[in-house]
Amino acid sequence: MSNVVESPVTETAAEPGAPRRSAAIAVMAVFLALAVAAALVGSDQFNRKPSTTDGDFTGETVEVMIPLAAGGGTDTWARFVGQEMMRAVPGQPGFAPVNDEGGEGIIGTNRFARSAPKDGTEVLVSTATTVVPWVLRRTEVKYDFNSLVPLVANGTGGAVYARSAAGVRGVRDLINRDHPLTFGGISATGLDLTTLVAFDLLGVRVKAVFGFEGRGPVNLALQRGEVDLDYQTTSAWPSAVKSIIQDGTAVPLMSFGQLDANGEVVRDPNFPKLPTVPEVYRQLRGSAPTGPAFEAYKTLLGLTYTYQKAMWVPADTPVEAVHTLRAAAAEVGQDPGFRKKADKVLGGYPLEADEALADRVRNAYTVDESVRGYILDLLRTQYNVKLG
Amino acid sequence: MGEAALSALASLTDPSLLVMLLVGVVAGLVIGLIPGLGGTGAVAVLMPLTFGMDAPQALALLIGALAVVHTSDTVAAVLLGAPGSASASVTMLDGYAMAKKGQAGRALTLAFLSSMAGGLLGAVGLTLAIPLARPLVLSFGSPELFMLTVLGVALAAVLSRGNVAKGLTAGLLGLLLGMVGTSPTTAEYRFTFGSLFLGDGLSLVAVALGVFGLAEIASRVGQRGKPEQIVKVGGGWLDGVREWLSHWTHVLRGALIGIWAGVLPGIGATAGTWLAYGQAVATAKDKKEFGKGDPRGIVGPESANNSVEAGDLIPTLLFGIPGGVPAAMLMGMLLTYGVQPGPSIVTDHLDLLYLIVWSFAIASVLGALLCFLSTRGLARISLVPFAVLGPGLVVVMLLGAFQEGGQLGDLWVMLALGVFGWLLKSTGFPRAPFLIGFVLAVPLERYYFLTDTLNDGFGWLLRPWVLVFLAVLLAPAVLRLVRAVRARRNLDHDDEDRQPPAEEEGELADSTWSLFTAFGALAVFAIGFLTAGSFSAEARLVPRLICTLGLLVGAYLVWRELRRRTRRPARQPAEEVPKLAPDVKVAARTFAWMATFLLLVTLGGYVAALLLFVPAFLLYVARARIRVVVVYTLVTAALVAVLPLLLPVHLPTGILPSF
Repeated sequence: MSNVVESPVTETAAEPGAPRRSAAIAVMAVFLALAVAAALVGSDQFNRKPSTTDGDFTGETVEVMIPLAAGGGTDTWARFVGQEMMRAVPGQPGFAPVNDEGGEGIIGTNRFARSAPKDGTEVLVSTATTVVPWVLRRTEVKYDFNSLVPLVANGTGGAVYARSAAGVRGVRDLINRDHPLTFGGISATGLDLTTLVAFDLLGVRVKAVFGFEGRGPVNLALQRGEVDLDYQTTSAWPSAVKSIIQDGTAVPLMSFGQLDANGEVVRDPNFPKLPTVPEVYRQLRGSAPTGPAFEAYKTLLGLTYTYQKAMWVPADTPVEAVHTLRAAAAEVGQDPGFRKKADKVLGGYPLEADEALADRVRNAYTVDESVRGYILDLLRTQYNVKLG
Repeated sequence: MGEAALSALASLTDPSLLVMLLVGVVAGLVIGLIPGLGGTGAVAVLMPLTFGMDAPQALALLIGALAVVHTSDTVAAVLLGAPGSASASVTMLDGYAMAKKGQAGRALTLAFLSSMAGGLLGAVGLTLAIPLARPLVLSFGSPELFMLTVLGVALAAVLSRGNVAKGLTAGLLGLLLGMVGTSPTTAEYRFTFGSLFLGDGLSLVAVALGVFGLAEIASRVGQRGKPEQIVKVGGGWLDGVREWLSHWTHVLRGALIGIWAGVLPGIGATAGTWLAYGQAVATAKDKKEFGKGDPRGIVGPESANNSVEAGDLIPTLLFGIPGGVPAAMLMGMLLTYGVQPGPSIVTDHLDLLYLIVWSFAIASVLGALLCFLSTRGLARISLVPFAVLGPGLVVVMLLGAFQEGGQLGDLWVMLALGVFGWLLKSTGFPRAPFLIGFVLAVPLERYYFLTDTLNDGFGWLLRPWVLVFLAVLLAPAVLRLVRAVRARRNLDHDDEDRQPPAEEEGELADSTWSLFTAFGALAVFAIGFLTAGSFSAEARLVPRLICTLGLLVGAYLVWRELRRRTRRPARQPAEEVPKLAPDVKVAARTFAWMATFLLLVTLGGYVAALLLFVPAFLLYVARARIRVVVVYTLVTAALVAVLPLLLPVHLPTGILPSF
């Protein structure tokens, strides 16, 4: 570096001369030593092995890996639940939320699957954004939820509504139409997928327009008359839909329902008066739904609604560590004070962390090849999306 | 309503609320000074503190910070030419020009006072806009939003210094760069060349700080001695206030545009600041000082970019649609307090709503006052030779860019964009339209697509707001044409005198480099056009449109460059190359230094790398004294090492330590 010579053109009398060579080298040597020291100090923290199998997390820090951007719904959920959960873990470990965003959540989740420590000190947060690409087997996905262990899950629900002025008064107006209704969506390969499958199951033909920025803008577009059909999740329903139903602008049609412990669709406690998608099917067709479309609907309902958000640890994490963390989550979930405080964040659905959760989640996260085939086929034939 | 407003004001006399507000303001100002952290950083650092607080305290804290972040981010834009956000790049046009003339203090004074007024007017606007917001938002469908994005890019292209063809080329290149990543309409990856890292698109901070910040360092680092011009740091506060008052109409207009634009979710902030600049230029009788340090170019936009923040709160609170990440985080916090954003907030939580409004107003005044008082100190930065500032700035800017995605790849992208930005600057392409194009690319495509699919035919072009925007869009072009024709007629034989001085057009304008850049742009558009062939029909539409426009404008540029070259030698024989070579050399060497720094970061981590990079740069490039080198390096290293403890800052780690 010492033979960097300045070009004479830029040198003018006012400029300082070069420092003495020996002094410069001495200074650089000192800083080189400091730099090496700094590089090594940084590595110290990796050396200590955490002890998480004794039921006590004293002195540990649990990193909660959020693969999406700060400020979104998943981020808010993870920070809130994670904070409360770590307070309930014996030894009160530090709580370190990390947003590793990129590639719609795929990059961070890939990284977790590849390199997360298998001792309970790093926890992954999942949501529909990262689950649907896994269901569709996108080539970018290098993780597999079947090889992770769930700690805690929390669901949400949703309901479909329509613009009255488009000539919709009830579910019967959805079928046998001269002109298809316009459905506003974000992307066919995201949370919208469940709604698209529901439409296909019911035989509702829609003109789907994707590209909206979020569900909020779709709701506004419906109020402007740009789209006719929309759905909103439970947490957004009161602010986005309630008032326009009251003034007659919109009409509620059906809720997605919830999966019960047996994997059957039941009414959503947050939409007790609205029929679920299978109930609407019975109304329209006179028989109970069966076949690949219904199986696909139930699978997606579980993945994207009933168990939408979850926290996971790698498969080989010691059972004791899993148990300690899960027990803390269960304790938090039972606490009435937390329930009251968390009502809005959790969207009115319980925080599930019982020991049977793993089985329920495993069932929900088992996707049959026939279901996958049906979904890929639907996307290809009706929405012109080719995957794989 | 009035009662709730007064009781909210009364509750702000509660000392604990005021303290929170003050803490928020100070935190917001400090974080705003670091280019790249911005409102997101401010909310992220304060959010953990709010757990366990009551809703009013927590709100005062966060609003205090949000209200002033855009007051202090002006500092880096004006003094160093490094805007940390798209809206600060507008203030930079005239602010940085003024600072380079040695009037940094004047520029900052005008900016801070305008920020204050913008914030205050924004708060008033927020109050008045509550009943009007709903009809306004509902009257803006996809066609109107699409026109607004077009207007934003077009205004930037037309109004930036330099000529329109170059501005358009830069804007179109920015739009194309903004399309790297996931397509907003079909969720397929575009221009990522198989890299998942590019799947989310490039980070705004990396683009802004690369194209402006690093490029600025590269072109000015040759300056080793004190700045030649006599720098007037102070100039008296009263004088500043007096000058500012003489532009009060611009302050008012800027604020109104800001509130109006802020209400529109997603695109308001960027487009609004440009509209404010655009109207200032359009309504001025004497336009030739714009871009060279015209006070009106600072006052309007700066007032707008603070009132935009207030306007931005309207969609967040009333519709639950946040306009940006900071607003989204604020919304998340409200949810944890059981406050549901939505139309019902006006009836259910009117007191909180007014608390937000008043906090915003008070914070704006406090923030601007604190900045205003420190103007003299801040302006002294411009007394330090750029070569000495350089290494510290490189360290801070790269660290800022690392925060958004936490990827080292972002830093390499930023360096590449630094080279690109330097090329643009040197060859006389305005860089602001490039940045604006980049920011507005996704909304532009989204709303074009929605407009096209939700409306049959082109009937939407006749909607009233669309017509208004079309008029605004075409008026300057028509005026320019008329004026150009008239000027050609009057000044036909004077043509040579009207050539702008070399410094303004860029040092390398009309050189081989300029031709090279024009050819490069042409090639990029051609490649973009061809690559788009592999996308689905929906995802191909807008990139192809942009590339086609780009090919046309690029071809015109190349033709003009070639024509000039064939004409030029007769008048000025081969004078350019030897004179310009040193600048190119200095820049190339500076970029090599930065690349070496990044390599060191990759190897040994951030602190270790800066411990080598900073002293070496100071010794061999800046030729600073030994004492300065040692103290400077130690202070920088200590600050960077401590920063992660105080702020939500992550330092890149190297690969060596993990062996």
